[in-house]
Amino acid sequence: MRLTLARWGKSGGIFAATILLFVFSRIVEPRSLGGSALAALWPFAAILVLAAVGQTLVVQQRGIDLSVPGFISLTVVIVTHLPNGASSKLVPAILLVFGISIVAGVVNGIMVTKVGIMPIVQTLGMNAVLYGIDLAISHGTPTQTTTALQNFVSGSVLGIPVPMVFAIIAVVAVEVVVKRTVLGRRFEAAGVSERAGRAAGLSVDRYQILAYVGSAMLYCTAGILLAGIISQPDAFQGDAYLLPSVAAVALGGTSLMGGIGSPIASAIGAVFLSQLQQFVLTTGASAAAQNVVEAIALAVGVAVYGVRGKLGSMLRRRRAASVPIVASDAPPSGPATAGGMASHAVSTSERLGR
Amino acid sequence: MTDVAVDTVALKLSDVWKRFDGVAALKGVSLEVLSGEVHALLGENGAGKSTLMSAAVGSLQPDQGQIEVLGRVVENLNPQLAQKLGIAIVYQHPALAPDLSVFENMAMALGPQMREHGGEAKNWVAAQLAEVGCTAGLNDRVSDLAVAQRQLIEIAKALAAGPSIMILDEPTASLGAGDAEMLFSHLRRLASNGVAIIYITHRLAEVRALCDRVTVLRDGEMRGTFTVSDVSDAQILELIVGREVFAEFPPKAGLLGNEIVLEVRDLNGLRFHDANFIVRKGEVLGIGGIVGNGQSELIRALAGLETAVGTIEVNRKEVRISGPGSARDAGVVYLSSDRLSEGLFPTMSVRENAAVSTVDRFARFGFVRRRAEAQTVKEKSTELAVKASSIEANVLELSGGNQQKVLMSRALLNEGAHVLLADDPTQGVDVGARLEIYRVLRRVADEGVAVVVVSSDVRELEGLCDRVLVVSAGRLVAEFSGQEVQESRITNAMLSSTARRSLVGDSKGKAPGRTPRFFGRVTRVAKGDYGATWALAIIMVAISLYTQGHNARFMTSFNLNSLGLLVAALAFISFGQACVIMTGGIDLSVGPLAGLVVVIGSFYENSGRSVASLALGFVVMFVVSALVGLANGLMVQSKVFTPVAATLVSYIALQGISLVMRPFQGGYIANSVMNAINQGIGAVPIAFVLAVLVAIALEISLRRSRWGRGLRAVGSDVTAAFRLGVRTDRSLVGAYVASALLSCVGGIMLMAQIGVGDPSQGVNYTLASVTAVVLAGTSVFGGRGSFVGVLLGAVLVEELLNVTTFLNLSQPWQYWFQGVLVFVAVGIYARAQARGTSRRMLRRHLESVAA
Repeated sequence: MRLTLARWGKSGGIFAATILLFVFSRIVEPRSLGGSALAALWPFAAILVLAAVGQTLVVQQRGIDLSVPGFISLTVVIVTHLPNGASSKLVPAILLVFGISIVAGVVNGIMVTKVGIMPIVQTLGMNAVLYGIDLAISHGTPTQTTTALQNFVSGSVLGIPVPMVFAIIAVVAVEVVVKRTVLGRRFEAAGVSERAGRAAGLSVDRYQILAYVGSAMLYCTAGILLAGIISQPDAFQGDAYLLPSVAAVALGGTSLMGGIGSPIASAIGAVFLSQLQQFVLTTGASAAAQNVVEAIALAVGVAVYGVRGKLGSMLRRRRAASVPIVASDAPPSGPATAGGMASHAVSTSERLGR
Repeated sequence: MTDVAVDTVALKLSDVWKRFDGVAALKGVSLEVLSGEVHALLGENGAGKSTLMSAAVGSLQPDQGQIEVLGRVVENLNPQLAQKLGIAIVYQHPALAPDLSVFENMAMALGPQMREHGGEAKNWVAAQLAEVGCTAGLNDRVSDLAVAQRQLIEIAKALAAGPSIMILDEPTASLGAGDAEMLFSHLRRLASNGVAIIYITHRLAEVRALCDRVTVLRDGEMRGTFTVSDVSDAQILELIVGREVFAEFPPKAGLLGNEIVLEVRDLNGLRFHDANFIVRKGEVLGIGGIVGNGQSELIRALAGLETAVGTIEVNRKEVRISGPGSARDAGVVYLSSDRLSEGLFPTMSVRENAAVSTVDRFARFGFVRRRAEAQTVKEKSTELAVKASSIEANVLELSGGNQQKVLMSRALLNEGAHVLLADDPTQGVDVGARLEIYRVLRRVADEGVAVVVVSSDVRELEGLCDRVLVVSAGRLVAEFSGQEVQESRITNAMLSSTARRSLVGDSKGKAPGRTPRFFGRVTRVAKGDYGATWALAIIMVAISLYTQGHNARFMTSFNLNSLGLLVAALAFISFGQACVIMTGGIDLSVGPLAGLVVVIGSFYENSGRSVASLALGFVVMFVVSALVGLANGLMVQSKVFTPVAATLVSYIALQGISLVMRPFQGGYIANSVMNAINQGIGAVPIAFVLAVLVAIALEISLRRSRWGRGLRAVGSDVTAAFRLGVRTDRSLVGAYVASALLSCVGGIMLMAQIGVGDPSQGVNYTLASVTAVVLAGTSVFGGRGSFVGVLLGAVLVEELLNVTTFLNLSQPWQYWFQGVLVFVAVGIYARAQARGTSRRMLRRHLESVAA
């Protein structure tokens, strides 16, 4: 169970940090946890959670998604401008925007895997295209959101605000799919090592495309909720979510170089960042100081995980695991592995030597 | 040529130790090489030869031990110092930056010699290449050359340095017979002039033909140094292989009938030719040969990991293996020799690694039943005696042998497997685990699976296999079965084969690439550094003419002037971005940094300030920028941060600092300052002229200067760059500092255009600069690019924003233009640069060679 513990430990770091932050906020600036502050915190935190989980999927497949703002902004614009106040047109607008998001996600995935464009460039270009559509519809002007959406989003289930309900459902669903299903297992494997995945016969490309489509749907959900939270959203609502989404992923311990990630940890990272913003705001510091604090949090987060990763791999090498795995009561057999380690190291040196 | 008396000690290594992750790879090796001798260094793969030589040329620091060069003790050896001391090395994998031209690579390695020859440098380099029979053109890009040509360049590079000590690591592995003979005559001549030569090889015939003395290494230890004429081949072989007792191999089973499971007919690939063979049910077929003769590629082709044309039948049914997926569907399972990067999933557990291919077996409604999975994996692990703390242990905690067993349990869990292909399955595996692996392979065969084992270990082939094929230069040259499977026969066939590479390794050949007749020229231009530049220029002119045709106000001096100013600011920031992208990184912080420069300016550059205050402002801007660049560079260089993470941190922080300093717009810039920066000559702003000049200057230094070549070399291949003598750490950090300083200049221009401290103005420049750089065809994988192209990219970005107003296009077009342009530019470029080989390309190549 060690590895499971280790993984829990991974999200445990940010979890502990988040709890500490809340305790600290309670002591230093109780107002940052007051009723109105919390009411303001959770809906926006939920949006960031959704964006961060989407970003996690792409980062796990060794990519990075810079089209987050485009997706969210376009979604907001479509679900506000197309109905233009008429609640009856809300559902078709939502269906339309999901359709567009899925197509855009597929395009991102195909361009990255089949055409070979770097993710950072592809998603940058996609962001521009999505903003083009956004402006073609909105002409850059804000519109009143529909009352239906506003009423729906401002509601709550069992005392939990609706946006948070969606965020929780999304996080749990993604976590379950990634960690418990055949699809998820292979998705993670393809993210850990493209070459090993290919050699094992996995359709690595398919998992990458899936990551872009899944993330697009999460951003789309975030955008719909955001359009309900803000009464008069403008055409650029998504801009505020790009960097925090990447930061949340990094804080959650998913390496920006790809590999195994934790959607839950990213989600907690998103909550952490949201509360950090809230806290800094209520201390009376300018909105600007917020960025500086965020940067420090991100730097510390990445550095802690990075250094720990390095230490971890060093420790791992030293620990020779020499216990035979026994399923029944078969007697342990074979000589000790000391020699094995030595010859393994020789092969490493040979590789490095070349 | 240095004149050194023959028989003095040229290179002396004493008691050299090197540990990797705490395990010794070199255990107190001492070696003495005399001037004027050719000294052979022999040993198996992994014996420590390459590690020892890396220590001797300073590309690796030994943990302990002393290195003496020409009687002088040398501390802290590094590649640059080694070059100065007259040590040259010919690496087995040539240390050449693939994205640079032949001449540029030579120039980087041969700085001092080039300066000596001054204006004649080009001719001199050409002569050096001709000397070794290299036919590559000086301006050919190394990545376009065949392996043999690269090897010849590597040799010419070492010879031209006029070394007093020369080290060659298996230089003939990819050379044709003629080239090898030529190399030998050069080496004999050098030795007679007093040069000390260390020659690493696997071929005993070469030792006999060339070398005076021989040193044998085994498992990081010295086995002794001998005069070649005093020892027999048999004695040398025994020293290499050691007295390691190979306990019994599992008994070879009789065939399970004569059923043919795998049949390969006329299979051709880039590195193997006309392969025809069968594997019967229950048989273990060995494929032997000296490493690098195409045997690995052959079975990789069967696993769908290498392109090949020909017929493959599994169980008498023809299968079309177009990729690893279709190979798996056909029941072909592959075990890579590159266990760490192509076999294992490093951060995953033993269980996950073992079950990855077959996890659907344990699933219900798509959900993995963990218990069933764990149970089955545990059983298999027990069966194979995998030693690990538990099946949840990280697979990297296991020893090499146990890792291999995990991979074999992955193959065994696959019940639909008909063919198991194992590439060097016991590499880096200790003796005990080795025997278990043999036992497992035999058991797999007994279960009716056709097993193919590629190995360079002849004893292993003899003990394990029912039948052995020997590959030399990509061709099957011998077959032994039954009683004939003997170590001596196989070794003899491997070492004595006269077959030389006939196709791709041909010294005249170029690497096969996409060169369809019709598009040939277009592709060549597109692949060049200036391909994108030309395309941009054409698009730019076309758009200008079109816009002018629709609206005559476009080409007024007023519009051109404002366009020029906008371009200048973006161009400088993009130059910075290009420096970083050239190294394979990305700098997200350029935009906010330019914004911060604007904000800083708004505190110093106001009207009524003294000249000193104005000047101080600029000093502050540059100092702050340099520090930001330094911080970025150091973060990236630490390897803890990826370029994205490092510059993202700076991005947020800089944006925050700008907002703290100027929460709202404020601090008007003095008109005098603005006018000075914005002034123009007619319609052309001086800022724009400056951008053009800087682009040209940067372009020239990118091509000609050590800095520029180093920058591209680092982005192209860090290891090769280091070996070529580039200070890779400085190059990398320097690129981020340069990026910040150029962004600072861009920021100053931005300040003069905005005229007020506005904290939000810079941010957009990050994405715009990346767009400009990418449009310029700068490879986002590093190594290639052009500053003139970046300038044009910046022009195009700003022009597209500008023309939309003149064409009465709505604002969305600005975004669509930008987005679609990026897709098209990068898409074309990615395809032009694609390194893979398609089946069609392979066929065309095979045809052209046959013709």
